[in-house]
Amino acid sequence: MLKPRSVAIIGASRNPEKVGHVIFKNYVNAGYPGRLYLVNKSGEEIEGTQTYKSILDIKEGIDLAVIAIPAEYVPAAMEECGRAKVKTVVVVSGGFAEVGRQDLQDKMVGIAEKYHMPTLGPNCLGVMDPRSRVDTLFLPTYKLSRPSIGGVSFVAQSGAVGSTVLDMISSEGFGLSKFISYGNAAHIDEVDVLEYLLDDKETKVIILYIEGAKRGKELVKIARRISLVKPVIVLKGGKTFEGQQAAHSHTAALAGSYEAYLALFRQFGFTIANDLSELLHYAKIFSSEQQPSGPRIAIVTNGGGAGVLTADAISSSSFLKLGKFSTATEKTLRKSMPVLVNIRNPLDLAGDADYLRYKEALGAICGDGNIDMVVAIALFQTPGADSKLAAELIRIKGDSKKPMVVLSTGSDYTRMHKIMMESSGLPVYDSPAAASAALEALYRYSEYKKAKKQGKDPH
Amino acid sequence: MLLDYIKARDMLGRYGISSVKSGYVDSPEQAVKFSEGKPLALKVLSEKALHKSKSGVVKLGLLDPDDIREAFSELSSKASRLRPYKILAQRMAPPGVEAIIGGRKDPQFGQTILLGMGGIYVEAFRDFSLRICPITRYDSVEMIHQLRSAQVITHNGKSEKMLSGLLLGVSRLLGEHPEITELDLNPVIVREDGYEAVDLRIIEE
Repeated sequence: MLKPRSVAIIGASRNPEKVGHVIFKNYVNAGYPGRLYLVNKSGEEIEGTQTYKSILDIKEGIDLAVIAIPAEYVPAAMEECGRAKVKTVVVVSGGFAEVGRQDLQDKMVGIAEKYHMPTLGPNCLGVMDPRSRVDTLFLPTYKLSRPSIGGVSFVAQSGAVGSTVLDMISSEGFGLSKFISYGNAAHIDEVDVLEYLLDDKETKVIILYIEGAKRGKELVKIARRISLVKPVIVLKGGKTFEGQQAAHSHTAALAGSYEAYLALFRQFGFTIANDLSELLHYAKIFSSEQQPSGPRIAIVTNGGGAGVLTADAISSSSFLKLGKFSTATEKTLRKSMPVLVNIRNPLDLAGDADYLRYKEALGAICGDGNIDMVVAIALFQTPGADSKLAAELIRIKGDSKKPMVVLSTGSDYTRMHKIMMESSGLPVYDSPAAASAALEALYRYSEYKKAKKQGKDPH
Repeated sequence: MLLDYIKARDMLGRYGISSVKSGYVDSPEQAVKFSEGKPLALKVLSEKALHKSKSGVVKLGLLDPDDIREAFSELSSKASRLRPYKILAQRMAPPGVEAIIGGRKDPQFGQTILLGMGGIYVEAFRDFSLRICPITRYDSVEMIHQLRSAQVITHNGKSEKMLSGLLLGVSRLLGEHPEITELDLNPVIVREDGYEAVDLRIIEE
């Protein structure tokens, strides 16, 4: 489904407003290298491309059929897919269990099982894989930017949350491995998707948006295994009673008790996000694949106030603490820093600090055994902070074993450097709270894995 | 269906979970004998009065034999409308910190286990931790540390270890008894050198 050699779009249309047209255009725009077939019951040509009246008319084998036709015609189209020996199916059409047509959905699942044809959806966005250039999303590329290639895979029950987050990911420095929106989970559900991603080598980090699980016990089993292998960040929709009501009419999900879900995620080392922006903050730090040795933080800054606020954020975490520099580090810093720099953590390099001062300071701190992680605050509004500083921070992060994040708040000039650093795998945050939360998540996950792997706690 | 108190106590006992000395008493004299000169609680147990303290059928801190006899008679007359009923005598637990340990069968994930400290924290601040069974020792320690009220109990490593062992015992019991839909040890009195479940309730399918 994610690496198909041939794709058929059932319901491809000439009408640019139809879902089937957008999906076709997206495949063309993405430069999908495999064979693309269009199926349309009228058999009309679409933008010079031949169409077939039925998938049965296509002579070659089809790896993936994307179905985008009204719900009532879906079972018949699936039956034809089965007879044409199609390998996998994505049903993007809505109009099934989520609007009370459980009968149509059951029919669909019956056909999928009869032909052993893994089927995603219905009522979903489908899949996207920037490596294979598969893109079943019916949202035009000029409206929804597509992320670059990376290691983060995103599993979303809701199509709308999925597309929003995808759009946000596209402006982040980390890229996407797979996007899977599974909608009503009629045949393939979150457990199947997580099992796949657990073994997928291209996936380093998993983001999960879930409202309700169909197979709770199976979810517990995969949860137990998955975070020992790769970090999973989860956002659970349907928190309140009202929220659960909405979940039911929305994706026909059975939102279980919110507390039990949180218990499950916490118990098995998932990182719990409370909103969409937290999802991205956590995805960013985990995709940088850094390993902390402990909870002690050093802060280096070119703005005193920003240093204080960050120290406050770190101190209010129940897991992180400010580290104390070793005497050797203090000695080195005293020699290399101007006299106006107070040698303590947070280390305020002063407003005139340039990349060389950061280089000296961070060089000493990165070699300090009393420090586990580093927050480098770089306010690009100051005279000394320029592209050389961004480049220096990238270099230091590359050389050092200690996890490092950058805190930069600002407008266009800052944003330019943020992109520069993030595309080199150096996470940049714009608030002390976000930076602190990200480091805490990284630390807690590493502690969880350590406790489990040391065999102190065999399951 | 509510499991008989003594049966529930014995089931917990088989998993190493201790509770205060308890027994059914049929007469005022039996109650006095049960006390052996130590403070006693008398409780009416009936399917018709699941909330004992709300129904006013609990007498606590009885020491003097005459008080015990009087309490027994009073409870018997109050309980006549709750037939069938039994009167349970319990030794009073020495003072300590109150904890709640519970189990609930979640429709999605199966047996879950809950820990809360000191009545008010659970009620007013919803300060509790929850896990899916079975839990490991790591999970049990995390359950304690997750509580904002953790300090009231973890002032020493010994009581933490004891509480962690208790949680593991309850988890094992829940795991081996899928027919249990709800379990309540409320309260458990925790001291530095020991603990006892003071009230317990097991509901089976």
